Amino acid sequence: MRRVGGAHRGIDMWLMQRASALYMALFLPIFMAAVMYCGAFGYAGWRAMFVPLPMKLATLLFVAALLVHGWIGMREIGIDYVQHLGVRLIYYFIFAMLYLACLAWTVAILWSI
Amino acid sequence: MPAKRPFFLNLLIIRLPVGGMVSILHRVTGAALSVAVPFLIYLLGRSLRSAEDFHAVADWFGTPLGWLILAGLTWITLHHFFAGLRHLGFDLGWGEDREPARLTAWLTLALGIGLTLLVAIGRLI
Repeated sequence: MRRVGGAHRGIDMWLMQRASALYMALFLPIFMAAVMYCGAFGYAGWRAMFVPLPMKLATLLFVAALLVHGWIGMREIGIDYVQHLGVRLIYYFIFAMLYLACLAWTVAILWSI
Repeated sequence: MPAKRPFFLNLLIIRLPVGGMVSILHRVTGAALSVAVPFLIYLLGRSLRSAEDFHAVADWFGTPLGWLILAGLTWITLHHFFAGLRHLGFDLGWGEDREPARLTAWLTLALGIGLTLLVAIGRLI
C-alpha cells in the first residue's frame, strides 16, 4: 500500500537515480575536459563557456539531475533514519523548497550572462 | 519467532569489510554533497558575475580554509563518483562476485584519495 512519506515508490526512484547518475557521469568528465581544452581558467574564458545556449541547457540539465539525484538520496536517508512521520514530512518539505529554489537560482545565474 | 537476538552496533568496534566501508562512505559523501548544493550554486553564480567576483572566489580557494574545503569537496565528489560507477556496474551485473567486488571497492578508495591528493598538492605548487 502507498502511504504518505512512505517507501513504496521504489522502482521510479531507483530508475531516476540511475538516469540522473548517468547524465552527471557523462557531463562531468566532458565539462572538465572542455575547461582544460578551452583554457577557461580566467574570468573571460570561464564566462565565455556559458554563453552558448546549448551549454546553458546542458549545465541546467546537470543541475536538475544533481537536484533530482540529491533529493532521492536524502529521501532514502530520511526513510532509513527519520521514523517520525511528521518530522520526516518537514524534512522532505525543507529539501523540496530548497532544491526548487536552487533550480530557479541556476536559471537566473545562467541566463544573466 | 526468536525471543532475543544479540544486538551489537558499537561503531567503534565493528570491523566493516572494505565493501561496507565504501558503501557507508557513499552515503555519507552523498549526504554531504546534497547539503553542499546551494553553496556550489552560489560559487557558480559568484564566479560568473564579474571579474572581481571570479578572482574573489579563486583567492578564497587559496586561503588555508578554502584549500581545505576544496580538498574535502574534491574527495567527497570523487569518492561518490567512483562508488556510483561501481554501483552502475553492479546494476549491469559486472563485478558482483566477492573478489572483483572487493577489488573495485579498494580501487574506489584508492582513486578517490589518490586523485584528491594530486589536486590538493597541485594547488599548493
